[in-house]
Amino acid sequence: MSTPACLLTPDLIAMVDRGVSTIVSSCDAALRPSIMRAVGSSITPDGCSITVYLARRQCRQLLQDVAATGRIAVVFSQPHSHRAVQVKACSARARPAQASDEPVLQRYLAAMEVEIGRIGIDPGFTRSMLAHRLEDVVAISFEPSQAFDQTPGPKAGAVLSTGGTGQAA
Amino acid sequence: MNDVALGSVRPCLEGAIPSMMATCAPDGTPNVAYISQVYYVDERHVALSFQFFNKTRQNILANPYASVLVLHPQTAEFFRLHIRYLRTETEGPLFEGMKAQLAGIASHAGMANVFRLQGSDVYEVQRIEAVEGDPLPPKPTRCGLLGAVRHCSERLSRGATLDELLSATLATLTDLMEVRHAMVLMLDPVTQRLYTVASSGYPTSGVGSEIAVGDGVIGVAARERTPVRITHMTSAHLYSQAVRGRLQADTPGLTLDVDIPYPGLLAPHSQLAVPVISIGRLLGVLFVESPNDLQFSFEDEDALVAIAGHLGAAIDLIQSAPEGTDEAAAAAASSVRLAGSPLQIRRFPANDSIFINDAYLIKGVAGAIFWKLVSDYLRQGRTEFSNRELRLDPGLKLPDVTDNLEARLLLLQRRLVEHGPLIRLEKTGRGRFRLVLQRPIELATMA
Repeated sequence: MSTPACLLTPDLIAMVDRGVSTIVSSCDAALRPSIMRAVGSSITPDGCSITVYLARRQCRQLLQDVAATGRIAVVFSQPHSHRAVQVKACSARARPAQASDEPVLQRYLAAMEVEIGRIGIDPGFTRSMLAHRLEDVVAISFEPSQAFDQTPGPKAGAVLSTGGTGQAA
Repeated sequence: MNDVALGSVRPCLEGAIPSMMATCAPDGTPNVAYISQVYYVDERHVALSFQFFNKTRQNILANPYASVLVLHPQTAEFFRLHIRYLRTETEGPLFEGMKAQLAGIASHAGMANVFRLQGSDVYEVQRIEAVEGDPLPPKPTRCGLLGAVRHCSERLSRGATLDELLSATLATLTDLMEVRHAMVLMLDPVTQRLYTVASSGYPTSGVGSEIAVGDGVIGVAARERTPVRITHMTSAHLYSQAVRGRLQADTPGLTLDVDIPYPGLLAPHSQLAVPVISIGRLLGVLFVESPNDLQFSFEDEDALVAIAGHLGAAIDLIQSAPEGTDEAAAAAASSVRLAGSPLQIRRFPANDSIFINDAYLIKGVAGAIFWKLVSDYLRQGRTEFSNRELRLDPGLKLPDVTDNLEARLLLLQRRLVEHGPLIRLEKTGRGRFRLVLQRPIELATMA
């Protein structure tokens, strides 16, 4: 399967690029799922590659699962509008975060303070929720092979488009 | 990552911040989705709302393991719940409790037309991880709730009349639990309606107003015998007593206005109804509400359930306590001659509704009791009565021995007080009371 026309529409790429709630999951060989909120995310302008940042101390199992299986599912959502998209991939790669990732993480935090503030939550709360030390952060990059509309409602799960076999999420 | 007890993460399950859930398909593909509700069932179980047949649901049916990420609304601490799917309930107390709560969450989120509970998915909680982080300091523990329950318990233990029990309960709520609007309703087991016997914090007491079992937050709590708590204003029609009450009142064709208006808030943002149960029997409902969102937490619910339990037991004990004898009561006859224009008391036998000088007083069992009292007074000059003779009177058709006669009398007594000073009921001892008249009366039964 050669890729890639991008799966995400320009407005969804813009939403992810702005910095919205980012939840990451994977699962192990025994099919037990793992989950954690990312402390940052970024997307390439063409939408073909995504990086999510996780604090190692918060999700050792999830990191182990991604390393072992390469499988990942990530939901990006905008709290005040409930707009959400889920992307999946099966060849995710992890690396330690570097100094060059710091601006990305800072930009993400600033965006989230505003985004979550729109539903009435104090910036101090958001800072605590996303607290991390750079040396503890792992960056996971992947190219989405599936994308799904995840905005709540009966159409949640509709395939946006597929890079292979499509299935409702 | 330390393991923690489910009880200590209950603040995370209040719905203030949506939780996330990860599942896994049989082919190993993970899936992650928001969930509207993680509902505390007991120390070992949670229930999640099943609203749509989506990927999460497909996964769970094929592979029952899931991980839920919840966030503490004050400390921003994360917890991971490792859970295993057991079953889905589509009716009953758990389902109805979740359905009501979801209606509040949905309206608050602008999703009233999207969120509809199809089932309560019950999961066993296998492990809870406290996720490392840099949490904010916790809010000081709310003190005094247990003290409030204790205070109420002491007062209930001392109470000798239903009046005292209800006053003790309402006073505890208003003085010690920051409740501004509360009411107690008793069940009429025959009509399956709940009638208000006491309230506080409303412009009118609403004593005597009725709600059908199954209607609104109060009626659902009664029908399912489970606490129902809504933490945001809901646009869901079912849960709005005031709106429903008014719709019924507007129904044309009611020639006589025998509805006492429901006293509750027009637009409550928080509502909590707790069934009052004793020996497995529903006696009534204790209800509190507030114009503010998120006013009542799970801790308020815990306290109210404890208070309602004690109240139920106390009500039952009072009813089964020995009552005074009839002789003294029957012997004493009033010889006072009353002056002034007579009060016209009319009775409509169809529903035992009573009017005094064209003003509606009461109907049903309390109406029949009142009619017996004033009739006996006219025939025999009696003013002293006992509960026992009311119970034995076949004409009153008291539903059965379990009917709460004390509640009927209290309702009648309070309605008379609201009606005016000319007719009163006074308690004269355990199981005894007196009819006190300031004017002569004339009775008429209407066709």
